[in-house]
Amino acid sequence: MQITETPILEVNNLAVEFATHGGTVQAVRGVSFHVAKGETLAIVGESGCGKSVTVQALMGLIPIPPGKITSGEARLDGQNILNLSPRQANQFRGVKIGMIFQDPMSSLNPTMTIGDQIGETLKVHLGKSQGEAFAMAIELLEKTHIPEAAKRARQYPFEFSGGMLQRAMIAQSLACNPSVLVADEPTTALDVTIQAQILELMQELQKSENMSIVLITHDLAVVARMADRVAVMYAGQIVEAGSVDDIFYRSSHPYTLGLKIAMPSNKHDRDKQLTPIPGSPPDLFMPPAGCGYFSRCPHAMSICRAHLPGVTDMSDSQFSRCWLQEAGAPDVPELHQRKNLPEQQVTATTGPLDAG
Amino acid sequence: MLVYILKRLIAGVITVWFIATATFIAMHQVPGDPLMNDKAVSPEIRANLEEKYGLNKPVTEQYFIYIGNMLRGDFGISFTQQNRQVNDIIRDHFPVSATLGLLAVLFAAAGGILWGALTAIYRNRLPDIIIMFLVILGISVPSFVFAALGQLTLVNLNSLVGRSIIPVAGWGSIWHMLMPSLVLGLGTMALLTRLMRSSMLEVINEDYIRTARAKGLSTTRIFFKHQLRNAILPVVTVLGPQIAAITTGGFVVELVFAIPGLGRYFVQAVQQLDYTVIMGTTVFYGAFLVMMVILVDIVYGFIDPRVRLS
Repeated sequence: MQITETPILEVNNLAVEFATHGGTVQAVRGVSFHVAKGETLAIVGESGCGKSVTVQALMGLIPIPPGKITSGEARLDGQNILNLSPRQANQFRGVKIGMIFQDPMSSLNPTMTIGDQIGETLKVHLGKSQGEAFAMAIELLEKTHIPEAAKRARQYPFEFSGGMLQRAMIAQSLACNPSVLVADEPTTALDVTIQAQILELMQELQKSENMSIVLITHDLAVVARMADRVAVMYAGQIVEAGSVDDIFYRSSHPYTLGLKIAMPSNKHDRDKQLTPIPGSPPDLFMPPAGCGYFSRCPHAMSICRAHLPGVTDMSDSQFSRCWLQEAGAPDVPELHQRKNLPEQQVTATTGPLDAG
Repeated sequence: MLVYILKRLIAGVITVWFIATATFIAMHQVPGDPLMNDKAVSPEIRANLEEKYGLNKPVTEQYFIYIGNMLRGDFGISFTQQNRQVNDIIRDHFPVSATLGLLAVLFAAAGGILWGALTAIYRNRLPDIIIMFLVILGISVPSFVFAALGQLTLVNLNSLVGRSIIPVAGWGSIWHMLMPSLVLGLGTMALLTRLMRSSMLEVINEDYIRTARAKGLSTTRIFFKHQLRNAILPVVTVLGPQIAAITTGGFVVELVFAIPGLGRYFVQAVQQLDYTVIMGTTVFYGAFLVMMVILVDIVYGFIDPRVRLS
């Protein structure tokens, strides 16, 4: 998938660290991605891999200190949003980028009505009066298919169910017609049938509002359903990125393979045991010199321990950060390897040694 | 909401009855009786007095007579102050204590919320450290020390100006109330400051504060609209017992500032085993405390919508 128009959101080499009593945690270590207009980018990875920190850094939600953005830039419509003053940052937060969170139960103010909370965004950013803002809040709730929106707008969060609250959160994030919606694990706290409804709603609104979505998740089923493109994060880095088909059918990083194998299935192999990835992610207080996945990788080689693999372009849409994509690397049958590609398909290349 | 208030009221009546009974039993367990203080009372006079006050009856009968009178709103006649009705003592002196207590609570609540919010904003920085040092001081130093210091300050102030602008003791004008209520509220203010600080720090880490920031709201707006109202809830909770504690516990300050409050009679009555005054003031204070707690429950319902419906 060739990106022709300039991306709406572009992140280059973002690095975030946190100073703690135990030392400095390098939570995000050089992350780059871009999101085109109207597309959905999914960022996947396990807990603690830095996916939430990445988007919270973009939104300026990381407490500084202890947090610190050590390098990188993020361009929203061409404007760098990482070096803004709080006042300037408040002009894009909630306006150009809307955000929804993992736990809708705790993400809304318990002592304020839903309508007032949605209307607050409109009052602050668009200068609406209380009455106008409340009326618009009701319209937004209707847009997210909340029944009896006028009555619901006068209620408090504790009177809503989890799914309804996430709808209200979505309504709130849409108030100023943002061009990007950042969804940080939006369905993790909800049960499965509600999950499906929320995802459907997001897809519907993405079309009608022409938004881009950055979807943070650890659920590959959600990725398969929602994403146009996928970035797989591990230990603070993107280890592989590509179109959703690339990731699922042409996985080019052992971690992606591991995630796929670990996916539970309710169709086949019912009696088969779940296959987790053994071990745990590396300690980001002292990130390893080599590949972060080294200790858990079934195909690890000696070079993986000492040297960080560079970025290898697999195609126009896909890249991988793995020594197995190197020309002389051994064959791994289940892995999509560049050396096995027909010559003409390999276009742009970045030699792994150049980048490393 | 009506059911909610009604339930609280019924529970309150039971509580007051319990207080009355417990006080009655405890009081009669204390050796001696109110007539013991009188010097050289002949057995005949003593018998007459016992007859007059009903002290020769069995304790259980006395109890039922007492509860019966109390239900009619009659606390009886004081033993030690000639023919003075307990009702009159309360009527004359409680308003003074209540005014002083209310002012002290207002002062404590306003100060506690303000200082607590400030320390949370400046957490671990100089203003926080200074205020928290004063808070520890306010909690640990007893009120009579502050009372004396307060009087000393007023004396110095008045002598500096050359005339008495703020009276050092006594009761009457608003100027008389200033220093005693300040002194009386100081401990509670320190307590509320600490409570407010921890509550503010807890709220600032809540998910909905992050949401508010993601909405692009200014720090000031987040502070007033989202943080303060949620952080104030625990403070309101302790305010009820604190109002009662201040109003009833003010007798030390009342004594130092020569204020004709109810506290003095309360303490005197216990020393002299003045049965009717002990019962009257205790039950009255108990009822007052219960009422304050109910009042706070109702106010709480207005601040936190979750309480209203449950």
